[in-house]
Amino acid sequence: MKFRKDAVADNTANETREEVREMAEALSLYRSAMQHIAEREAARPFAPGVSQRMTERRPERRSRFSLLLAPALAAAVAAAVLVPMYGHFHHEHGATPAPVVANGQQHANDTHAAVDDTALMNQIDSEVSEDVPDALRPLADLSDQTTTTSSVSEKKNATQE
Amino acid sequence: MEEMATTPASMLSGGPGAGSELAIEKREQAMLELADFDEVVRVYRPRILRFLLSSLTDRDAAESLTQECFMKAWSARHQFRGDSSLSTWLTRIAVNLMRDHLRSRSLRFWQKTRGSSLDVMDISDWVPDGRGTPESLAVARDRVAAVWEAVKSLSAQQRTVFVLRFVEELELDEIATTIGMNLSTVKSHLYRALAIIRERMGGAK
Repeated sequence: MKFRKDAVADNTANETREEVREMAEALSLYRSAMQHIAEREAARPFAPGVSQRMTERRPERRSRFSLLLAPALAAAVAAAVLVPMYGHFHHEHGATPAPVVANGQQHANDTHAAVDDTALMNQIDSEVSEDVPDALRPLADLSDQTTTTSSVSEKKNATQE
Repeated sequence: MEEMATTPASMLSGGPGAGSELAIEKREQAMLELADFDEVVRVYRPRILRFLLSSLTDRDAAESLTQECFMKAWSARHQFRGDSSLSTWLTRIAVNLMRDHLRSRSLRFWQKTRGSSLDVMDISDWVPDGRGTPESLAVARDRVAAVWEAVKSLSAQQRTVFVLRFVEELELDEIATTIGMNLSTVKSHLYRALAIIRERMGGAK
């Protein structure tokens, strides 16, 4: 009985030893394979694609940054230009009553001027309708004759037509 | 004798200043090594690429991150204090880049990221032919393929620890220093990774 137990234990130990040996061999082969592959890969110069990617990484970040920055700057510039323009426009638009007032004022001025004109016309009219001074009487008579002659000749022409 | 005359006495005596002298010498050596950066790239590129390729299983990503790793190392070379070896420092940069990459990839879930992934055939085809019978060659290829598939199924941290231990052959304390984990966490990740791989390989057998 004891002999059989020892035999089973020996078998188990042998199996374990064999398993460990196989695993050690597999690990050794794996190491050799990795060393071989790495040496083969390292024998090549640094891949240009990789180098390019490495050098492009930072510009890419820069371009990404500029992609974000450009619209922000554009918006800022647009705001800087448009806000004062809007303010100016708004100010102008808000100030439109001013011309109305000005027009009103102008109208008042015009009215005032019109009044002045009327007064002036009345004044002129009164002055014209005044009696001709004695010294100017002959001229006044001459003027009356001319007016009458011309009106008679006009009437004649009109009837002939 | 001349050599002994130029060697600092503290180093020969092994006195209290010996450790710091060694550290200074190590640092100076690392600085000297870093001064010729072309040589640094030539020597360490295969190692960094191998680590990233094993971890990411993607050629493009591995190559891109390898290049980025050396670019970062170049720009930060004045900050390198020489507290760790140049190899550990570079691997740490690569681990950080890989973390960032995996994080960003998980955010860009819609993007196709496996365009240049290493195929299992790339790995298993490499197994040398001088293995006796065709049957034993086929068995060896199957085992490598099983390990490859099992490694892909590990979590990111398990995979990093596994690769650093079994591909880069770092000691556990070096792994802990490189990835900034404590030793017990490194052991825990490695134990789980091996358990998964063993289970997968048992299933593949």
